[in-house]
Amino acid sequence: MKKFDTGRRGFLRNLGILGAAGVLGACGAGVASSDGAKSGRGQGAMTKRLNGATGDSVSILGYGCMRLPTKALVSGNEADDEIDQNAVNESVDYAIAHGVNYFDTSPAYCKGHSEEAMGVALSRHPRDKYYIATKLSNFAPSTWSREASIGMFENSLRMLRTDYVDYLLLHGIGMGGMEAFNGRYVDNGVLDYLCEKRRQGIIRNLGFSYHGDVAVFDHLLAMMDRGEIRWDFAQIQMNYIDWRHAKEINERNTDAEYLYGELSKRGIPVVIMEPLLGGRLASVPGPVAAKMKERRPDDSLASWAFRFAGTPEGVLTVLSGMTYMEHLKENIATYSALEPLDAEEDAFLQRMALEILQNDTVPCTDCKYCMPCPYGVNIPGIFAHYNRCINEGTVVRDGADPDFARSRRAFLFGYDRAVPRLRQADRCVGCGACLSHCPQGIAIPGRLHAIAAYAESLRASKI
Amino acid sequence: MLRIVRMLLATVAILAITLLFVDFTGIAARWLSFLPKIQLVPALLALNLGALCLLAVLTLVFGRVYCSVICPLGIYQDIVMRLRIWLSPKRKRRAGFFRHSPEAKKLRYGFFAMFLVLVALGLAGVIASSFAGLLDPYSAYGRMASRFALPLWRTAVVPVADMAAESGVYVLDSYPAAQPLNVAMLAVAVLTFVVVTAMAWRGGRDYCNKVCPAGTMLGLLSRFSLLKPAIDTYKCNRCGTCGRKCKASCIDTNNHSIDYSRCVVCMDCIGNCTRGAISYARRRGGTAKAAPDATRRSFMVGLAVAGGAIAARAADKATDGGLAPLKDKQRHPDAAPAVPAGAIGIGHLSSRCTACQLCVSACPEGVLRPSLSASRFMQPELVFTGGFCRPDCTECSHVCPAGAIKPVDAAEKTAIRIGRAVVDTSTCISAAYGQHCGNCARHCPAGAIQMVKGTNGNMRPSVDESVCIGCGSCEYHCPVGTAGHISSDKAAIYVEGYKVHLKS
Repeated sequence: MKKFDTGRRGFLRNLGILGAAGVLGACGAGVASSDGAKSGRGQGAMTKRLNGATGDSVSILGYGCMRLPTKALVSGNEADDEIDQNAVNESVDYAIAHGVNYFDTSPAYCKGHSEEAMGVALSRHPRDKYYIATKLSNFAPSTWSREASIGMFENSLRMLRTDYVDYLLLHGIGMGGMEAFNGRYVDNGVLDYLCEKRRQGIIRNLGFSYHGDVAVFDHLLAMMDRGEIRWDFAQIQMNYIDWRHAKEINERNTDAEYLYGELSKRGIPVVIMEPLLGGRLASVPGPVAAKMKERRPDDSLASWAFRFAGTPEGVLTVLSGMTYMEHLKENIATYSALEPLDAEEDAFLQRMALEILQNDTVPCTDCKYCMPCPYGVNIPGIFAHYNRCINEGTVVRDGADPDFARSRRAFLFGYDRAVPRLRQADRCVGCGACLSHCPQGIAIPGRLHAIAAYAESLRASKI
Repeated sequence: MLRIVRMLLATVAILAITLLFVDFTGIAARWLSFLPKIQLVPALLALNLGALCLLAVLTLVFGRVYCSVICPLGIYQDIVMRLRIWLSPKRKRRAGFFRHSPEAKKLRYGFFAMFLVLVALGLAGVIASSFAGLLDPYSAYGRMASRFALPLWRTAVVPVADMAAESGVYVLDSYPAAQPLNVAMLAVAVLTFVVVTAMAWRGGRDYCNKVCPAGTMLGLLSRFSLLKPAIDTYKCNRCGTCGRKCKASCIDTNNHSIDYSRCVVCMDCIGNCTRGAISYARRRGGTAKAAPDATRRSFMVGLAVAGGAIAARAADKATDGGLAPLKDKQRHPDAAPAVPAGAIGIGHLSSRCTACQLCVSACPEGVLRPSLSASRFMQPELVFTGGFCRPDCTECSHVCPAGAIKPVDAAEKTAIRIGRAVVDTSTCISAAYGQHCGNCARHCPAGAIQMVKGTNGNMRPSVDESVCIGCGSCEYHCPVGTAGHISSDKAAIYVEGYKVHLKS
């Protein structure tokens, strides 16, 4: 892999891109595209999008800081979940060197250590080389007070070793409905405080991320329509499944087509989260994978999802939590430069979405909001294993199936490898502590009990 | 030639028996499970007439070949002696390490009498038969193999299993979880190792001819064996080489006599004689011997419910990710022990088991563990803290060579009630604190547990003792004792084993 694209052509292209971006930005569009040069995958410079309001030229690939590499990746010991700062530094250096300049973190991520780790990694670079996005993650009712919320924001600045934040989000509006939104931001005057900070330049862009109750989303846009507030950007979950089938994944979710449409109608730049639906679109069922490979044999399955998320012009950046260096390199290649989907490919992905939905996977995105489970259950680990087995076709309920013995072994032994016995689904007591935390609204205890029953049926059937 | 055949057979036998103790895939057991069954002391306790007859005939025809090619501890001692020979200077090696000694009758029959007394006491139910098993060479080897070889094997196999799993091959994956360190068992194994190794290093087959009850019993027969090594007095020049190199110290060169009760027919003397004066030839035969009988014993147990209050609710969740801490669940110290379905009852198991640990090694769920109580020392019992005794699994019943756990099939097993679940409502998170749970009821394979409304209005488990088979699924799945935020370290529902299993 080439480290720097600093050839003469590359330099000229970059100049051209910035120039074009400047012109478009001046036209006043919310986001202006700059996918200038059309060359092979990974052969060009990172595509940038322009935030018209502030003139920020943001890389289409945003660096998500929710799944930072832990020492467990090297040691293999799952308990070793401390962030591997060296790996973070290396990854951030590589990202910045290859044009990534948007870093999205939160006080809640990585057991609360994400901001600190990103502060360490980013402060080694000039502050004007990147944009920091963080959130006011005052989910716990104990942090709803004005003091606690402001304290959380001020602590973010400290942890991130900066005196201003480029993008600040009200975190997860819609979770807990209108009551939570009012409690967290309106009644305590925190929203006014944040607007004041924006006036002072300490927050350069103020926006929100949305999960759950669409009434809150509509309410926030209505506030803007009435002129009560200005949203500089908004973050939504968007991928080729959620585009039209969000409800089929989860009753509480809203089709991204609607969300994106409402935002772009108002010229609000859109930040995309979950472009891979928690990694599920990186390993799709075999027949779907075959069709994708038939069209673009050298491209990864994930690249289809990234191209889908980056194609709409109103998208400012597409976030990806890249735990492994390989993921980062792969995503940079996909977006350097972005080759937008054409109409035919778009229709193809919509057909694939339907095909994927026919599988009984759990819509878990591995965000870990449900964790830690007080009873020690590794909820995302269990769902990840189950989904993997569904996608590999190794969830076989019929004992007469010729592949039953092989599938049984793959499921059970893979299960024991992925999740230790005392953290498996059969340990769930159904207390429901996780339910209110799941942005996907998964009926976690019910799904866990079903998986436990399936595993038990396999264990009991000796082959 | 005969010596090479002996060494080949012995090598195969010790590797095969050791493999039985370490292999968790069940593949070795499929082909080699007969090997423990033809070990003398377990066969005696099992009244395995087929094996006893086989061994008697074998000894009456060939002499004590059992001690050279079947008994793992005998073969192990030969290996120790081989090491001593390799590590010694050439001069010493040529001179030989042994010399003829008279039969140590007092010691030999003293230990044998002690063994018979221990067996009798075991069968009468006064003490556990594992004390007699302390003298049994096969069980002694089993205790060493399960404590030394198994952990080594696990360490070696896990990386291979990891690699295999990467490519979707899970054959090696079925190893049970590592058992917690058991100091007493380790001490017994280390002590056995030290004593046997030291005796073999210093005195050759001293253990076999002074201590071992199997050696003494077979010695009674081997005096009359058909084939024996014999010295041709015309060819012998009384050089004494055979005597100095006989690890059983049983060749009296001066008198041209061999004590056949101690000879383990290793054939070393035949190869060592430079004049070809010793040959393995036909002699006259003798008679066989019967085994003792058994009675059952009774065993008193008290029932006490240990306290320990549930303390905390989960802390206010401010950040995401991470795993809540877990604790090591403890078994209720006063709960009556439970033993596997084929064991008939604690009395039967206790009177037959020589504590060879083969069942402990064979348990796929890792729930069968050696007991620490004096009355059942080293004998297996079920511990449900890290798993439960699956109704569909009958592994342990098929490996036992001593008949302490008799073979049962899965259908029979589901009709054998080895104990019953008892609820401790003072620590149950549902009964005492009204939290949503019901894990015991949800996971009961027998459908014996219902959640019912208790006197305080909370839902509590109730056990139908006529249906409960004592598998321990409830004890294993109970969050109390495992979840880090609950202060009790024991499950709120646990199994009280039955003294004698009930059949339904």
